[in-house]
Amino acid sequence: MKIKKAYITPILFMVPTILFLGLFIYIPLIQNFYNSFFEFSVFSQSKEFVGFSKIKELLVDEVVMIALNNNVKYAIISVLLQVFFALVLAAVLEDKFFRRFAPALRVIYFMPVMISISVIALLFGFVYNPQIGLLNSFLELIGLEELAKPWLGNSTTAIYSVIAMSQWQSVGLITMLFIVAIQKVPKELYEAAEIDGAGKIRKFFKITVPQVKEATFVNLLVTVTGSILVFNEPYILTNGGPGNSSMTLAVHMYQTGFFKDDMGYASTLASLIFLLSAMFALIQIKVSKTGKED
Amino acid sequence: MKKFLSFLVVILVSSMFLAACSSSSNESDGEATEGDQVVIDFFHRWPNEPRKSFYDEKIAEFEKLNPNVKIKVDAVLNDSYKEKIKVLVSNDNLPDVFTSWSDTFAANLVSSERIMSLNDIMAEDPDWSGNIIESQYAGFTFDDVTYGIPFTVDGKAFFYNKQIFEENNIAVPASYDELVTALDQLKAAGYETPVVEGLTNGWAISHYMGTIFDRVVDNSVLVKDYTAATGEFTDPGYIRGLEIFKELTTYMGDVSTAIDHEAARNMFAAGEVPVLYMQFAEVKYVQDAGDVEFGFFNFPEVKDGEGRPKSLTGAPEGWMLSKNAPPEAVEFLKFLTSEETAKAFTKADGQLNAIKGGVTEETSNPTSLEAYQIILDASDATPWFDNAIDITIADIFMRGGQELATGQTTPEDIMKKVQEAAAKLRNQ
Repeated sequence: MKIKKAYITPILFMVPTILFLGLFIYIPLIQNFYNSFFEFSVFSQSKEFVGFSKIKELLVDEVVMIALNNNVKYAIISVLLQVFFALVLAAVLEDKFFRRFAPALRVIYFMPVMISISVIALLFGFVYNPQIGLLNSFLELIGLEELAKPWLGNSTTAIYSVIAMSQWQSVGLITMLFIVAIQKVPKELYEAAEIDGAGKIRKFFKITVPQVKEATFVNLLVTVTGSILVFNEPYILTNGGPGNSSMTLAVHMYQTGFFKDDMGYASTLASLIFLLSAMFALIQIKVSKTGKED
Repeated sequence: MKKFLSFLVVILVSSMFLAACSSSSNESDGEATEGDQVVIDFFHRWPNEPRKSFYDEKIAEFEKLNPNVKIKVDAVLNDSYKEKIKVLVSNDNLPDVFTSWSDTFAANLVSSERIMSLNDIMAEDPDWSGNIIESQYAGFTFDDVTYGIPFTVDGKAFFYNKQIFEENNIAVPASYDELVTALDQLKAAGYETPVVEGLTNGWAISHYMGTIFDRVVDNSVLVKDYTAATGEFTDPGYIRGLEIFKELTTYMGDVSTAIDHEAARNMFAAGEVPVLYMQFAEVKYVQDAGDVEFGFFNFPEVKDGEGRPKSLTGAPEGWMLSKNAPPEAVEFLKFLTSEETAKAFTKADGQLNAIKGGVTEETSNPTSLEAYQIILDASDATPWFDNAIDITIADIFMRGGQELATGQTTPEDIMKKVQEAAAKLRNQ
């Protein structure tokens, strides 16, 4: 009886969390899977059961393939720039030589993280403007006017322009996470390496990189999962256009539901996004269990 | 006992929080009050000037006349408005008074069964309802029930820079071939983009498509195809229409797919671009943004086209009420569509409206009056394309239009996708 009582207090503390998680996460999630089997409109209360036809539609939807391709591009570039570049940047900022400028530089790199993505997207709308945009003006200034183009209006460059903006915004956050990880690396390791005559590059690859392995895995998977969910940037900058050239899965889902009014298919797309991101989340959990945290 | 009490506290706090969440979603059912005040949720699509200020002033005026009424206003731009209103209707969270386009947009909203029927209200006050141009009710009336009060009227035409046309001895085109010749002449005269459009806005593409199809495809075919249950889109006129659109985009330059319609309008107003396909609603914007002297001509006749050569694309916009809106919202609607408001609106905004006596020599300028007359005299009216057909098909045409401009697709490919989507709709 006493043992049972001991369980009550933690359960009581967990009740609100369980309640809200259930209400706002798990029930809508189950509802979403359930909705994938129906044909229904945002305007109408009636639903028609259509079985697996929405899943069949998903398999032949060419926009899904374009969107998936764009999400993969997003993930690859984000991994390269947000994870590897951020690691280098963090190592540089933690270097003795740069340490005196580090506080100012950290603020500079971290500032975009604190600005709303909607504001940043509008800002970059001006940067990419083909007539008065900062980017084309800069290219003209340095004599590279032949490279100037309508960045967001060109089907080849639109998705890369969107990705570039995203990197600018997110690199600061990942850098800060790496800085925290680097600061946890025992100083003795660097001192011993210095005594042995190791240079900065060797210290980076032989000490920093292995010592921040856990942080790298986490950042890697957070970035990849984020790339599957990306919505705001392409939605505000290009709305997935021109045509479907900068479409991502989340924008396609939103457009299908709230523009084309096909809520059943939008639910199917949402399920796909969930499954993909859950898959990466599971990998993340698996990987973080294999390593050892300090 | 202590544990039982703490459990009760947790449940109580949780339920209070939940109650707070749920009460906010019912705010727009017309029963929300702040003290003795009736709160009316008002949602429109003009967060930009001068109309935002106009409505803000009118709200203040109405609140002064009705001290028991508080109006909560929200405004977002065109495309966002279309999406947001759908989210609101799907959550049964409609504002009490809100903007609506006519035709399929209005019909979709009506199908939610959450829109107030206005027949009785109109019959009770014929002085008010009878003062609105009768023909403009059509786009808001379904099965003899009217669900919206038309307010603005509109039409779409090519605006052209008179000075540039005169300097280069270019006559106003009377046919599509003459339009292409005029654009060639303008290009030869140094205008790299003789006509421009903000193709990032899907609706701007849809306006072109709707008009072009109306010129090249027989109207009876359009009526059949634009109905989801019978649409096939197999007429070769559609390919011809898309070819015409593609040809026009070749005169728009690289920038068109990277700018929006507002940027294109500013280019026209600054005298950088000689021709732009615009709504009469934009007359005042152009006049305010620059000092170009401009005229307009309807999308010209396509010589081998089988459609209507002189129809005018355009449809009214109006106001709708949520089914649960309080009586004060009806009064606010009447206030918004009164002759007095219409006169002030025409003076402040320049947009033409459906209220008799709203557009006169006193309230408007000769250019706007000319446009008003064109709308009233139009032989046939073609509704906005994205409101005339199912949005799935409209989306294929709109995204296809962008892809045509960037050379990613062909008219044949677009029509193949349209036919597939139409077949799916027919089978639903």
